[in-house]
Amino acid sequence: MKIGNVDVKVSIVAIAVFVIFSIFLFFASVFSPDVRSQLIWLIPGLFMLLVIPIALNYMSRSQYADIAPVYEAQAKTLRIKLINESMVGKPVRVEGVVERVHFQILNRPQYIVADRSGAISVKMFTSPDEDVKVNDIVEVIGQVIRRYIVTGDPVINCVSIRKIKNS
Amino acid sequence: MTGNSRETFGQPLHNFTPWLEAAVPLFSFGGAFLAILSEWQGILLDFHIPALGCVLASFILAYLAWIRPKKDIVALSTPIYSFIFFIVPTDFSTGVLLQVLYAVSLTLLLVRLKYRFGRPGTAALLGKELGGSLKTYVEETRDALSGTSHEVAHNAALVFVRFAEGNYEDAAQSAKTALFGEKAGDQVSPLMRAFGIIREHSTLLDTSQPRPLTYLTFSEKDSPLLAKPRLPVHDPETEFYAALDNALLLVFSAAWNASEPDRPHLLACQAFAQKLFT
Repeated sequence: MKIGNVDVKVSIVAIAVFVIFSIFLFFASVFSPDVRSQLIWLIPGLFMLLVIPIALNYMSRSQYADIAPVYEAQAKTLRIKLINESMVGKPVRVEGVVERVHFQILNRPQYIVADRSGAISVKMFTSPDEDVKVNDIVEVIGQVIRRYIVTGDPVINCVSIRKIKNS
Repeated sequence: MTGNSRETFGQPLHNFTPWLEAAVPLFSFGGAFLAILSEWQGILLDFHIPALGCVLASFILAYLAWIRPKKDIVALSTPIYSFIFFIVPTDFSTGVLLQVLYAVSLTLLLVRLKYRFGRPGTAALLGKELGGSLKTYVEETRDALSGTSHEVAHNAALVFVRFAEGNYEDAAQSAKTALFGEKAGDQVSPLMRAFGIIREHSTLLDTSQPRPLTYLTFSEKDSPLLAKPRLPVHDPETEFYAALDNALLLVFSAAWNASEPDRPHLLACQAFAQKLFT
């Protein structure tokens, strides 16, 4: 779904929640007159279950679209091995093969990207522009952060992930 | 001697780790066993007394997770869960079954921690002393680098720290300063070659340029000083990056051995230096 220039993606979890509550509401309103009398606010409430994730996704994706060119201009192309704790806060660009993908259905994908020198976790806090799969060769642009904000190994907070070559 | 005191620092803690690992199932299952025993004997025992075993075991597990280089957020948060399950007053009865299940969970988390989150003690010691291959390498190259002047060693520390931080322009500049500072009346030493290699790589990294066709490497006679041996097979890419790893490690060693005031800064970058051996 496109809103302005932003391609908004709703996670399957948000859709599933909406569908389940729609079914609940349907049966509850069929069997209970009390529920029927409350439909005037229950139906908009139900739609909010879809509208809120769409709005959040729109906001995060439009912000990422704004900052991506800034990172692209500042990021230095590095081998994964050179990324370390002392680089926290630095914009970086790495190229590698996607070894694993987690949490894609939550619109918060986490990738393990590897090159010849090593592997690193790449976390994204919104849905990516492209559907990245295991074995895709990608270019990642982002900022080095610690896994748990103040502690943990260095990971990349991904601003943009692009396929260079399909699997 | 400073060196010896550094070697022994942290050793008691490291020796204590197997006992702490054993204490996790021992305390948690011990508490559950005490609860079962008291029920069998019909002794009215306050629930909090056997549950204390699980609480203690959670804190030990969290400590074991904290001292590892890779942090396990699940193990680290177990004290919070133990507090919620066993300390906070609740209307629901948190009986023996909960303690047994909690003890099983803690044991599984301990096994997971041991196999997936690195060796214990390394995180706590990384900021305090050199360890592993890096320590061995620094000691092995100490004599060969003993003639390094304090000024060059300080520059070496600057180059290494700036490079680790990703400040490649500054790293290149510091390497250049070190090179020009030593050139007068001095033959090209392995350390100078290392500065040259780091300068070349820093300049390339700063401008995000790929490997050039021709590049600086160490000479054959530098081999005894290098952390990574030269490969028998000629692979330009491997050779190019191995030269950088060797150069950075040589510079680290020079800085460590001849510029003691810079050691805290070098220790802060130790994890990066350790990575260069892989």
